[in-house]
Amino acid sequence: MSTIQRPSQQVPEGTSRVPSPGRPARPSRSRTGHVPWLYLAPALVVLLIMTIGPAIYIFYTSFRNASVLGGSGRFVGLQNYETALTDPATQQAFLWTLLFVAGAVALEMVLGLALALPLAQQTRANKVASALMLLPFAVTPAVGAMIFRQLVNPNYGWVTHYLQVLGFPANLDLLGNPVGAWAVLFALDLWQWTPFVALILMAGVQSLPAEPKEAAMVDGANKWQILRYITLPGLVPFLAIALVLRTIQAFKTFDSFKIVTNGGPGNSTEMINLAIHRIGLQSFNIGLACALGVLLLIVLLLLVPAIERVIGRRADPEEM
Amino acid sequence: MKNSSRARVLKVTGPLFALSLVATACGGPEAGGDPGAKPETLRVLYTTAEANAAALQAQVPAFEEKFGVQLEIDTQPYDALQQRVFSEFASSSEHYDIIAVDTPWAPALVGNLEPLSEYLTSEELNEQPQGAISDFIPKVFFDTAVYDAGDTLKQFPNPNEPADIEAITAENFDVYGLPIQSNVSVMAYRKDLFEDPEQKEAFRAEHGRELTVPETWDEYVEVAKFFTQPDKNLYGTTVMAGVGEWATTDFKTMLASYGGDGHLVNDKLEMAFDSPEGVEALETYRELIDSGAVPPGSTSASWEETATSFDNGLTAMTTNFHALELSDTVEGGEIAYAPVPQAEAAGPHFGTWMLGINANSNNKEWAYQAISWLTSSETQQAMTEDQLHPSRTSVYDAISSEGADPAEAAFYETLGESLEVGVGRPRVTNYTEISHEIAVAVNKAASGDAAPEAALSEAADRVTSLLEQAGYDVPGN
Repeated sequence: MSTIQRPSQQVPEGTSRVPSPGRPARPSRSRTGHVPWLYLAPALVVLLIMTIGPAIYIFYTSFRNASVLGGSGRFVGLQNYETALTDPATQQAFLWTLLFVAGAVALEMVLGLALALPLAQQTRANKVASALMLLPFAVTPAVGAMIFRQLVNPNYGWVTHYLQVLGFPANLDLLGNPVGAWAVLFALDLWQWTPFVALILMAGVQSLPAEPKEAAMVDGANKWQILRYITLPGLVPFLAIALVLRTIQAFKTFDSFKIVTNGGPGNSTEMINLAIHRIGLQSFNIGLACALGVLLLIVLLLLVPAIERVIGRRADPEEM
Repeated sequence: MKNSSRARVLKVTGPLFALSLVATACGGPEAGGDPGAKPETLRVLYTTAEANAAALQAQVPAFEEKFGVQLEIDTQPYDALQQRVFSEFASSSEHYDIIAVDTPWAPALVGNLEPLSEYLTSEELNEQPQGAISDFIPKVFFDTAVYDAGDTLKQFPNPNEPADIEAITAENFDVYGLPIQSNVSVMAYRKDLFEDPEQKEAFRAEHGRELTVPETWDEYVEVAKFFTQPDKNLYGTTVMAGVGEWATTDFKTMLASYGGDGHLVNDKLEMAFDSPEGVEALETYRELIDSGAVPPGSTSASWEETATSFDNGLTAMTTNFHALELSDTVEGGEIAYAPVPQAEAAGPHFGTWMLGINANSNNKEWAYQAISWLTSSETQQAMTEDQLHPSRTSVYDAISSEGADPAEAAFYETLGESLEVGVGRPRVTNYTEISHEIAVAVNKAASGDAAPEAALSEAADRVTSLLEQAGYDVPGN
């Protein structure tokens, strides 16, 4: 169990009060009670204006039939939530979203780890490779999506060309069938975000102390045992950070779906964000869009602490 | 458009334009009365690509010279523009005097746009004849700009007669903008292939008739199959069957041509697309795909991909809204245009951008004069130099009759003919959602995932539900 390092508590100069033995001196509450809040104030103000305020407004609007040009509308109770939760298309969109997030993030964690372990050794080649890894997630997601759409074009895209060389049918229309469309969307997400996970984990591997690993080698542990019992447990906090950040990011994925498939073929890749965009920013049914946004927020609020709890427990050496 | 044709257009439009400048230099806006305090600047919010901002911007110097008022044009891409326009109106902003409005947005925006009937009938503000609304292509004008603010669902009852402001106001309608860029579905084809003696002979031998530009869907399918030679990387035509507005527009053009109501959802909120005509349209659409007469990838294609396919010589025909230009790799290639084929009737999809006046503007009279001038016959004709798709009959007449480049004249002739019989969108405030559901149905039927009838029936249920969500009282529900 980690211990908390408390700052030394000194008695301010000039005070006549002598602390009783065994009881640390405590500064006057009236003098220090507001100071931490003062330090926090700028961050809290920004948080209040940029995050908490809009979140409260979204929550408020989700109970109204608001539209952009119709004012704030009137109170309609849970009607927007009822519409959102009972609409089969929305239910399916939520399901696709969850499956995409679970699948893409899981694959990125595995591939990110597979990249991070060899690249963590600080050789000259690895430094070049690490710099190159930055490129995909430096590309604007919309631009990446537009390029991918061209790459898989069955008439002139080189992906379909080389797939044909590998034995796939000629002029394969990947975006014309649900399996192909999902494969392209996953490939795009993996290309763009695996390096992000890999960089976090690389930093983790590089920060691990060398002694336990050396001791294990002396004791005759093989590479797998070192990875399983020394490297991975040490990496858990980094895995947790990567997992939580990627999960939140993956829920926000919009550009690639909008540009590559626009929800098609049929509605087989219809993510909830596409529906929210259409309802909120094209039809301007703000009340319903806010209700969908709140539902997505609730899913995240339930999911992220759950992930943290599971990984946090595993990060606790006493429970390992 | 080729440079030579541009030069010819300039020869035609140049003198007319110069004449209008000379005429206006003698008068000016003040000559006919006081249209309010003269502003230094009029601000316009416009779209970057979809309504040809370049054509508008090219006229700014002439406008400033004529009116002595600066014209500041801000342009944005489509999605960003839509959000900007709605947020400008939501905040009752007076910043922009003139705002570009696309037809799907108009039903929601009408209450925020200045009704123009009083301006159109004002003698002070209409000294010049270019303000005449009777010159706009009637169907374009009524579909784009004429609304009943009390019931925005309603289409004007008689959209085929030249516009007359008294007739409009007598029906409780008003005018909420002036049309500037009219987009309509037209067919483009490879003239060189259609005129190739070998192709003509082969077609005659195969079908026992001359190879002609298709006028019916049956002919279209037949010719598309004839040209298809995948080993030579050549296909008959294109479809835009990916999920998106493009699929909906492809379908509604065919729906109208099979005798259905191309508006998809009529004034009474009946599902006009879920009909035998709709099924017939999708069956023909499906046949084009099943027969292999369209390039691979057509069931995920949008208007960009279809235009690229045609431009690169991959297809012999296409139907699209895009400006098309064959790439240099297509040796001897030549484009010609014709109206999209018909079955029972004609009803190519069209949609026009209009210039509306912000009801919160402080310079409404001047803004009216500006939109009146920008959409005038002379200015539109000058804008064709930058490939504007005009909205006035007189501009099409002038281009086709005054010795313009024959290819260009033929294009504009096709465009004008198609606009005269075009069909617009339903006037619902959540058109984007409606269009999405219909596009999903078209995509499912096109890719064989669902039978046309089942796909349309499912879409009708979804559209009904979406209309109810938007607050409409759908009959029978």
